[in-house]
Amino acid sequence: MEKVYLSIVLAPLIGSIIAGVFGKQVGRAGAHWATIIGVAISCFLSAIVFNQIVINDGETFNGAVYTWLVSDGIRFEVGFLIDELTASMMMVVTFVSLMVHIYTIGYMKDDPGYQRFFCYISLFTFSMLMLVMANNFMQLFFGWEAVGLVSYLLIGFWYKKETAIYANLKAFLVNRVGDFGFLLGIAAVLMYFNSVDYADVFAAAPDMANLTVQIIPGLDWNVMTVICILLFIGAMGKSAQVPLHVWLPDSMEGPTPISALIHAATMVTAGIFMVARMSPMYELSTTALSVVLVIGAITALFMGFLGLVQNDIKRVVAYSTLSQLGYMTVALGASAYAAGVFHLMTHAFFKALLFLAAGSVIIAMHHEQDIRKMGGLKKYMPITYWCMLIGSLALIGTPGFSGFFSKDAIIMAVGESETPGATFAYLCVLLGVFVTALYSFRMFFLVFHGKERMDHHTKEHLHESPGVVTLPLVLLAIPSVFVGAIAVGPWLFGDYFGNAIYVAEQNDVLARIGEGYTGVMGFILHGFVTPVFWLAAGGVFAAWYLYMKRPDLPGKIKAQFGGIHRMLDNAYGADDFNDKVFAAGSRKAGSFLWKFGDVKGIDGFIVNGTAFGVGKVASMIRHLQTGYLYHYAFSMIIGLLLLVAGILIYA
Amino acid sequence: MANVSFVMPNFVPAIPEMFVLGMACAILILDLFFSDKDRVVTYLLSVATLVGAAILTIALSTDTRELTFNGSFVRDPMGDVLKVFIYVVTAFTFIYSRRYLEARGLFKGEYFVLGLFGVLGMMVMVSAHNMLTLYMGLELLSLSMYAMVAFQRDSLKATEAAMKYFILGALASGMLLYGMSLIYGMSGSLDLAEIAAYVALNNTNVVLMLGLVFAIVGLAFKLGAVPFHMWVPDVYHGAPTSVTLYIGTAPKIAAFAMVMRLLVEGLGDLHHQWQDMLIVLAVLSIALGNVIAIAQTNIKRMLAYSTISHVGFILLGILAGTENGYSSAMFYVVVYTLMSLGGFAMIIMLSRAGFEADKLDDFKGLNDRSPWLALMMLVLMFSMAGVPPTVGFYAKLSVLQAVVQVELVWLAVYAVVFSVIGAFYYLRVVKVMYFDKPDDTTPLEASMAERIVISANSLAMLALGIFPAVLMQLMVIR
Amino acid sequence: MELFIFYAFAAVMIGSALAVITVRNPVIAVLFLVLTFFTSAAIWMLMEAEFLALTLILVYVGAVMVLFLFVVMMLDINISVLREGFVKNLYVGIPVALIIVAELITVVGVKNFGFEKFAAPVPHGPDYSNTKEIGRVLYTDYVYAFELAAVVLLVAIIAAIALTMRRRPDSKYQDPAKQVLVQRKDRIRMVRMAAEKKKSD
Repeated sequence: MEKVYLSIVLAPLIGSIIAGVFGKQVGRAGAHWATIIGVAISCFLSAIVFNQIVINDGETFNGAVYTWLVSDGIRFEVGFLIDELTASMMMVVTFVSLMVHIYTIGYMKDDPGYQRFFCYISLFTFSMLMLVMANNFMQLFFGWEAVGLVSYLLIGFWYKKETAIYANLKAFLVNRVGDFGFLLGIAAVLMYFNSVDYADVFAAAPDMANLTVQIIPGLDWNVMTVICILLFIGAMGKSAQVPLHVWLPDSMEGPTPISALIHAATMVTAGIFMVARMSPMYELSTTALSVVLVIGAITALFMGFLGLVQNDIKRVVAYSTLSQLGYMTVALGASAYAAGVFHLMTHAFFKALLFLAAGSVIIAMHHEQDIRKMGGLKKYMPITYWCMLIGSLALIGTPGFSGFFSKDAIIMAVGESETPGATFAYLCVLLGVFVTALYSFRMFFLVFHGKERMDHHTKEHLHESPGVVTLPLVLLAIPSVFVGAIAVGPWLFGDYFGNAIYVAEQNDVLARIGEGYTGVMGFILHGFVTPVFWLAAGGVFAAWYLYMKRPDLPGKIKAQFGGIHRMLDNAYGADDFNDKVFAAGSRKAGSFLWKFGDVKGIDGFIVNGTAFGVGKVASMIRHLQTGYLYHYAFSMIIGLLLLVAGILIYA
Repeated sequence: MANVSFVMPNFVPAIPEMFVLGMACAILILDLFFSDKDRVVTYLLSVATLVGAAILTIALSTDTRELTFNGSFVRDPMGDVLKVFIYVVTAFTFIYSRRYLEARGLFKGEYFVLGLFGVLGMMVMVSAHNMLTLYMGLELLSLSMYAMVAFQRDSLKATEAAMKYFILGALASGMLLYGMSLIYGMSGSLDLAEIAAYVALNNTNVVLMLGLVFAIVGLAFKLGAVPFHMWVPDVYHGAPTSVTLYIGTAPKIAAFAMVMRLLVEGLGDLHHQWQDMLIVLAVLSIALGNVIAIAQTNIKRMLAYSTISHVGFILLGILAGTENGYSSAMFYVVVYTLMSLGGFAMIIMLSRAGFEADKLDDFKGLNDRSPWLALMMLVLMFSMAGVPPTVGFYAKLSVLQAVVQVELVWLAVYAVVFSVIGAFYYLRVVKVMYFDKPDDTTPLEASMAERIVISANSLAMLALGIFPAVLMQLMVIR
Repeated sequence: MELFIFYAFAAVMIGSALAVITVRNPVIAVLFLVLTFFTSAAIWMLMEAEFLALTLILVYVGAVMVLFLFVVMMLDINISVLREGFVKNLYVGIPVALIIVAELITVVGVKNFGFEKFAAPVPHGPDYSNTKEIGRVLYTDYVYAFELAAVVLLVAIIAAIALTMRRRPDSKYQDPAKQVLVQRKDRIRMVRMAAEKKKSD
């Protein structure tokens, strides 16, 4: 089995190398075939693993493939931990990635960086698999940084575009903040547990539950809380939680397949996955769970609001991603890890679908992304229309669609939860449902229905996208509808995850909900009587009323509540705040330190001083090498003399 | 007359040695019949000899230790690994040298024959289990090297270097021999096992220690440790680059083997005494090598000083005196050999008829002239400086770990400080390659074979850095 | 008596060894070296190593040193250049030499090598053959080292030939093969010239 796991990881890497290094030789077709075959192999083998581990309930695999180095008894290894959680993630990652690969052939058809692009996305698949399959913190960190790197490269893929460069710099900097916390967390793990292996750490974690540490003298902090919050800071960066969310909307500067693959379906969920993986640690600290819960709730609601005022089709979907990531985080905070991961999976499918559908619209519109300039596209692109509709219905949680099961479960779990902050979170997620429905259908109506607002030239060329684009849409639409119904029973209420996820007895909200669970149909029927459904329906209705029935109303509302609109339009001023306080502040501090610390102190005294000193010494000793043979012989004799003298004195 | 009985020794373990000797003699004779334009056959045969020897060595390799020739020859896993690396490195040397020698009218059969005899000398040293064989192997190697350095007869620099090398080498040999004779005088045996048995009982004997000092002087000279290093820069600089490539690489492996055989196998119980001496040598080598290299403008001299500092690191591993230390030193010596092979080879690649490319300035703007070669050089320089993820980093790390394990933390800190200073001159090469404009834009003449070999060489530094265990598991001492 | 002979030869040996490096004339220095070898051969003889003693005289004194002498005489070395700086460096050289000698004496002295440590070897009978003994170990126990010594000599020959044998382009020598193969057209060129030069103006 080990070989299979290794092949799953390496197949995309090999594809990536072929496309990247030999791109010129293999040509465009060679590049996409190499990478697609690599990912397809991965996907197929993942399905086998999924079948074996999950469906046939096989043994969990935990083993090292390669020991990189052993230092002071701590082993740094490359190893795999394959359990239900990992197998599910592998399935999602490779499937979505495969779809995106195929879709890319159509989307990037005319781009000069075709091979480079395939190289990157395959490399991303490799990194993401390394991340989810890791059995230790070091490999997790490797995958974490590798996906970050590829994401950075891809946001700035069109490196001649000013905004793209700005966006990838921003993503890079914001993620640095998160990664710093993450790295500190791993360092703390290493310090207290003396191991980076998951199994060792989780086994030892309960004994550490009451250990305290004084980081600021006189203030006792629980070690587990500190570790968990530090790790969560990393998750906040990667999964774009408030206040480290600012990079995600800007990341839409990258090509659309990337937005689908990296910034919606997989990479941004790495944080969620990581917290679920670390559940044995999070369960030991109520404080940490509470932090997770509140941050998630804020993200879920307030990022949803921002979706209401966006006009760029991709940014609407991006804010919806932020808000959905908030939902997942809330689930984690409420100890409903299974629900969080479940939402992660369903979201991966329907959000990838939404992005790719948006991409399809963008192709048809000749790379025009403003929804105010669209409308009535339904008759031109029927496949895209239906796929987008399915995606939107899944997103807002229409009973029966996949998103419904996961989202409803999260909301119920939060309602049941007793973690501090749960009431606030419950209100946030409920209200969030309405907002989600409103912005989703606002976009949907503006794009596909109503007046055709595009210019004449574009209109003439409007047609459905080619097969390589629509095929992935259809293939993604299928799980977006059905996967929830199929999986809800075992995932949430059954023993699906086995020992992969640990939930403490008193926190097990899903078990409490599960007592009332009466099968899929019962769940759907129950869905119609909850406030959730009516809120969603209200949202759709509001969207219809405002944008189809009375298109003049939004303008009036905007004028009436100008202040609020401006605030939303500026995304609560987070970017301005960051620019003015952090960026300008650090620039000032930087230039101060540069002038006084670096130029005078370090450069002048330490670096140049040392360099000067060493150089001086070097040119002085250099003269020992006179070139005279007898000097050389003499130096040997002196050496001998001193060694003999040493040994005589010593003896 | 005393009844003399003679038992035929077991020749099997020595088959690779006999093969190399036979082939060297055969090539020597065959070469007479070739005209200059067929000389390439000599070259191909020499490389084939090394390949054949490698196959034989690997085929005969077992996990056990075999003694033959009345205890004067030993074949063990450590020896097999070292020998195979010697063949590989020498074969690479030959491949790199070809174009360089042809361009200078030095493409003669003697170069390869002497090279093969040198390899035989190294093999004898690696497999020696008797002070006499150890010494014979050393002389065989040294004699070949003296002649190779002087090979370019019309070059004043080369002749001067050969003269210095020969005289100093003779002096060092004399000291080594004196040390060996003292040890023999006390223990009454030349056999390393018997010496070890004697030393175990008499480890405070002052005469033995004196013998030890002289032996160490001889060893330190061969390795090029300060203050017995003076020949290194002059010889590396003066010799034709292809010969520098030869003497700067594989013989270090043999010298390491000699240290292991004599100090560890023979005089292991004097560990306490030789540890202190090696500390002195290592401390001086690391400091002097790294510092003086900074002041060099000739890249061959710079690499010579870098060799001295690397030798310091190898000594660090040996002086730890633990199994871990020995295997990390072995790892280091192999890695060092591969790195300096690439480094010197790069000088050869840039050179052409009448132009040596051994100045730092000759590397200016290499990135503009050949981005791939510049990248390969960058990897090599990073590896020498010990920048992760290259294997140079891992080699340094494992040696330092061994030192820390025996509680010589100050030594580890000291070594780290000086390797940081040393990183300067390696990075300067990188800076020159990437940020300066080339003075000389003549197209590079390096052949395809050279390019492939150097790429394999450099990429191996990277690959082994990521998977060091592949190499590390070969480094078994006993 | 034996002791007296030993000390006499030892004294001569040390004296002549010193003379090798101090006398001004290199020819005399070589002759002193011969004397040193000779006396040490005598001392070996005292230790019953007749074979080695005779070999030393035959090979070194008889062959090597004579060759050496020829070389020294032919090269006509300028002594004054060689000895330049000899006195100047003496200030450093003598103390260093003395320290090393002192160090060596403390170790390799009577304390460690006296009769208490090593009993004098028992003399062998008249029918004992040293030569046979050496031959026996040389071709059995030390056959490996012996063969290696042969290889070392081979390398020395190759090295010497490779470094000295050169075909200098300016040296003149006859090649009979070429002489035989030569043809008329290689040597003679027929030139047609005008019978009389036109008068130039």
